[in-house]
Amino acid sequence: MRYSDAVTRALLPFALLGLIVACGGDAPETEADDAEVEMPFDVATAGHLQGMVLFEGDPPPPEVLDMSSEPDCAAQWDDQPMRDLVQVSDGHLENVFIYVKEGLDGMDFPRARDTPVMDQVGCRYTPTVIGLMPGQEITFRNSDGLLHNINSSPTVNRGFNISQPVNMDTQRSFASPEVMIPVRCDVHGWMRAYIGVVPHPYHGVTGSGGSFDLRDLPPGEYVIEAWHSQLGTQEQTVTIATGETAEVSFTFTSEMLGTAVVPLGEPIYPHRHHAPHSAPATR
Amino acid sequence: MRDHPFWQAILVFIAAWILVRWGIPYVPPLVGISSAPVPTSVELQYMLTVLVGILIWVSDNEVRWKRFKEPIRNVMVQPERKWMRVAFLVAIPLLVAFVTYDTVRPKVTAPVGLRSVHPANPTSITVDGESIILEGLENPFRAEGRGDEAYALGLDIYYQNCMACHGDYLDGQGHYAHGYNPLPLPLRGGGTIAQLTESYVFWRIAKGGAGLPREGQPWNSAMPAWEDFLTVEEMWAVTYFLYEQAGISPRTWEEH
Amino acid sequence: MAAIRFLGLVLVLVTADLAAQQPDTERGRQVYERWCAACHAVDGAGEGPAAGYMLPRPRDFTRGIYQIRTTPGGDIPTDDDIMRMINEGMPGTTMPGWQDQLSRADRQAVLEYIKSFYPPFETMAAPEPIDFGRAPRVSDDRLEEGRIFYDSIECWQCHGDTGRGYGSSAPELEDDWGYPIRAVDLTKNWKFNGGGSVEEIYRRLRTGMDGTPMPSFSDLLDADFMTEDQLWSLAHYVRSLAPDRPPRVREVIRADRVEPGEVPTTVADERWDEVESFYIPLVAQIIVLPRWFDPSVDAVWVQALHDGNEIALRVTWHDRSESPHPNWMQWQERVLEVMEPREGDLDPAPRPDRLAVQFPRSIPSGMERPYFLMGTSDNPVYLWQWSSTDDAEPAQARGMTEIEPLGGSIASDARWEAGRWQVVLTRSLEPEDTSNRLTFERGTAIPIAFYVWDGDNGEEGTRGAISSWYFIYLLEDAPISTYVTPLMAFFLTGGLGLVVVARAQKRERALETASEGPDPTTPTGRNP
Repeated sequence: MRYSDAVTRALLPFALLGLIVACGGDAPETEADDAEVEMPFDVATAGHLQGMVLFEGDPPPPEVLDMSSEPDCAAQWDDQPMRDLVQVSDGHLENVFIYVKEGLDGMDFPRARDTPVMDQVGCRYTPTVIGLMPGQEITFRNSDGLLHNINSSPTVNRGFNISQPVNMDTQRSFASPEVMIPVRCDVHGWMRAYIGVVPHPYHGVTGSGGSFDLRDLPPGEYVIEAWHSQLGTQEQTVTIATGETAEVSFTFTSEMLGTAVVPLGEPIYPHRHHAPHSAPATR
Repeated sequence: MRDHPFWQAILVFIAAWILVRWGIPYVPPLVGISSAPVPTSVELQYMLTVLVGILIWVSDNEVRWKRFKEPIRNVMVQPERKWMRVAFLVAIPLLVAFVTYDTVRPKVTAPVGLRSVHPANPTSITVDGESIILEGLENPFRAEGRGDEAYALGLDIYYQNCMACHGDYLDGQGHYAHGYNPLPLPLRGGGTIAQLTESYVFWRIAKGGAGLPREGQPWNSAMPAWEDFLTVEEMWAVTYFLYEQAGISPRTWEEH
Repeated sequence: MAAIRFLGLVLVLVTADLAAQQPDTERGRQVYERWCAACHAVDGAGEGPAAGYMLPRPRDFTRGIYQIRTTPGGDIPTDDDIMRMINEGMPGTTMPGWQDQLSRADRQAVLEYIKSFYPPFETMAAPEPIDFGRAPRVSDDRLEEGRIFYDSIECWQCHGDTGRGYGSSAPELEDDWGYPIRAVDLTKNWKFNGGGSVEEIYRRLRTGMDGTPMPSFSDLLDADFMTEDQLWSLAHYVRSLAPDRPPRVREVIRADRVEPGEVPTTVADERWDEVESFYIPLVAQIIVLPRWFDPSVDAVWVQALHDGNEIALRVTWHDRSESPHPNWMQWQERVLEVMEPREGDLDPAPRPDRLAVQFPRSIPSGMERPYFLMGTSDNPVYLWQWSSTDDAEPAQARGMTEIEPLGGSIASDARWEAGRWQVVLTRSLEPEDTSNRLTFERGTAIPIAFYVWDGDNGEEGTRGAISSWYFIYLLEDAPISTYVTPLMAFFLTGGLGLVVVARAQKRERALETASEGPDPTTPTGRNP
């Protein structure tokens, strides 16, 4: 789809002052070609992928945040506001973005219809990692009622920098696949989030159990990547067979902290999209 | 009134003044010729000349001279012009008094300094412990035909070190230029380095403002002594670069 | 036949015109590499050899992110937007305008070449400029409305309540490339990157400034949080934070005379409000080692008064922090990390803000003064040094690295408030020790210069902001002749006029009594 369409649609007046509204379905679907896309394979032949992301070693202690300049935000925390960049529970690592990196070339998938919400509560992003498909909308919600700006700095896609000084919702989308797009709030320097855009629905983010579940994959061999904002990336190759559930697990360790290379703004399937040549990653 | 010599004289005087004050600075640019406002002292001279010319013209014929004086005389003697007479008798002395006051009042002004832009260079300088005789000295890069090398090296040096004052375009309009008095010199055009040999420019670069003779006001110059930052080779490279980038040629020793 | 020839001519002209419109890549490359690449780099990524010497950094053309646009946030700019940046440059940055420097064809060619660094320019739909409408007239009500929105949408988070760029988020700001970036000082609109008029401010509010923390506020219009008209009010309010015209630089600071004992010695003294302010621009110290290319203070305003016994200076400058401030420590770390050249000790440390006022040791008789950058070993200067953590003291300098206190102190009062330092320094006109300390004479121009260091910006020693020599002039009571001479001139001219008129009238009467006779062409009198 064309970028300008995405912007036009995203700019439509969704947000309502002082209300938290669930994302309405009032986005006019203008692209007929998009609506016609069907699953490019027979779902009856699909298999599944389940897995777990583990963490070995001692996670770094959470960072104490100074929210004295925003007492309203600080009040939303039970105790001291903290930032846990490496969130581990029982050896299970959270906020890892998992997606199929290779193996789906040449397949066009229908765009996901749901609109994930990235909320801003107590001056932090909830969740901090979200996966999207190209053109799929995301809602940025301000539940704090004070000034946040949502400043995305993609490399492949066009960025945006929205101001939300009150409780409001704003929708945006990204036209091209890109892993990962950093999002920051300049008003509150500790607020960072990441959005992964992949050209298929096979992506997920690990939750409190460190597990993920990618369902209904066409049979075949895939490269799966696990991406973490502090620990870098890992890849594994898996084979999916019809009706079966393959299992895979990734292990990150505390040694990777500080030495990990965290890729940002990398195009996926660059031959299919207009990506800038030799575009530098965020320095 | 149109053919009355008094009013004609006034009209000519005012027209001349408009021409000198606004015509000279603003009309030539309309046809693409650059111009500048006339300095006050020159303006005064022009207007005096015009006044003398007008007086010669009105007095060269007895009838015209008499008619010219008529309005002045009328104001002085006619009973019905009494109030105009009084007004002139007050206004003219007031004007004179004001001009006098403006001349004698204490003025908050800076002393005027005369600065020599291109003072004579010494016969030799010492850079990096080595004595360099400037007379007849050529830029080694130019002499050896290593211009491309000098340009590439000079470009990096110039834009890192010199641009902030002498400007991206070598026009003296760098982003920090406005803070200095005297302003950093433009390097392009015919007025500065185009008149100089490369050895002179090398001397100015190596020794900076502090190395100027007294008539160059070394205490005011913000030009660093680049021998503290750059090697002899780098200074020759940037010298070469300046001419190349400004699109001008150095003065050669033969021209002397 | 003539018609065919005419058609042929038209054809030739049209072809020539088409050829001229083709992007001339080779020409663009040549112009770019000659005039742009030193900063923007040959590969367009903004890391040219001189890039490290400037903050904000030169634009990276490979990401297609442009601050100053007429298109919606996140969109690519129009050709006109890019051409405007080329033509006019960007105030407040190191980017100069090229309109009078490069030919139109060269600028067009370089524009096309710059766009080629970001291939999506070719494939993306042509951007649509926003219809900004026209600026409504400014009024007190509108400014009040603008002020309310300035508060409610929290512009002060970065720009601070007074607009001087010292908001609580200011020390953490970074651009899309991770470089530190300052919240602009809204009271200095002549340094706004995209121009300081109300129309330009409104455009920045609508489009945002991509690549920087400055967001677009267009979504607030779409969400009916505010109207276009209200956003115009905000633009007017922001415009009103800066003076109508940029300050004028004058070479001489005037110190008016007040009654004995009436010299204000505190910053808060309201009498300062009546005293004229003199604007002195400061620039980076890039003359002696170690240099510093990114001073945060670009000017001081100086006010001066004397009462015949004492002189007081009030020096005012904008500074985003009262150094050393813990919140600004990480700003210092980041700035020291990215600035070239790496000369001297660049370790981040708690550093105070400093001010130095420089005079010669005695008033020079001719033009010759000490070297403007803190003198030399054989001709030192006399300094008043103030620091945010210490009392003010007199000192003598024989160059920037050779400063020694002279002993004693200079009376001072200082206050940092809302992004601004104000410091009052007071001293008697005649010092007790006249050998190294200046005696302030009245009625003459005394050389003066200023230095400011922003500690939280890593400034110290030779790394700071400097001025060249200016003058301060202590007004003397005007001598009595100043008033007597014009009075005498008035009466002399008036008397002379009366005599001339009287003589003319006398002659007229004489002519009337002796009427009927004389030749009308005979001169009637002397020319008055």
